[in-house]
Amino acid sequence: MTASHFLIMVLFALLVSIVFATLMRDTAREQVRTGLAMFGGFVAVAYGLGWLMYPFPL
Amino acid sequence: MIGIRVATKSTTAERTKSAAEPGALAVVCLLAWLLPGAGHLWLGRRQKGIIFLLVIPFMFLVGLWLQGRLFPLAMSEPLVFLGALADRAIGTPYMLARMLDAGNGTVIAVTYEYGNTFLMTAGLLNALVILDAFDIAMGRK
Repeated sequence: MTASHFLIMVLFALLVSIVFATLMRDTAREQVRTGLAMFGGFVAVAYGLGWLMYPFPL
Repeated sequence: MIGIRVATKSTTAERTKSAAEPGALAVVCLLAWLLPGAGHLWLGRRQKGIIFLLVIPFMFLVGLWLQGRLFPLAMSEPLVFLGALADRAIGTPYMLARMLDAGNGTVIAVTYEYGNTFLMTAGLLNALVILDAFDIAMGRK
């Protein structure tokens, strides 16, 4: 089985964002806006942290 | 249109009011634990309930697909014990996976830790959903 680490992280961020946005907001419009913002934030932070860790060997 | 909305709201309010009794609160929490989103559906929050019903079990399935492990309740290892509690917070999907002998985990798989993370997070998200259903039933939301 081949699974991309990045795609798994994106899927994780997507699912968590959907649940958090649904919990936090009551209208569909607010849920979509919050969910998108949260999803973008998760992916951007994870991508940034990934690059920050790049110079350090395991 | 307005009449329908009023009727829907009063129905939800009546359900919420009646659910504030301790027995009904327990039923809501039990339903919410057994099946993600069922508590919200019971309380008339259909849109939220359907989203939880689809997304949280899907996340659990992805965790199994990624060869994650459903941890045993081992008191000797506190972190494993906490992970086991998180796994069990999803209710029926956990029981089904156990019955089907899934979730044994493959430690050597590249995706093992990802799988564990998906499985535990699905359970923890359902714990939040249970608390949300409890708050709605108490009339706080």
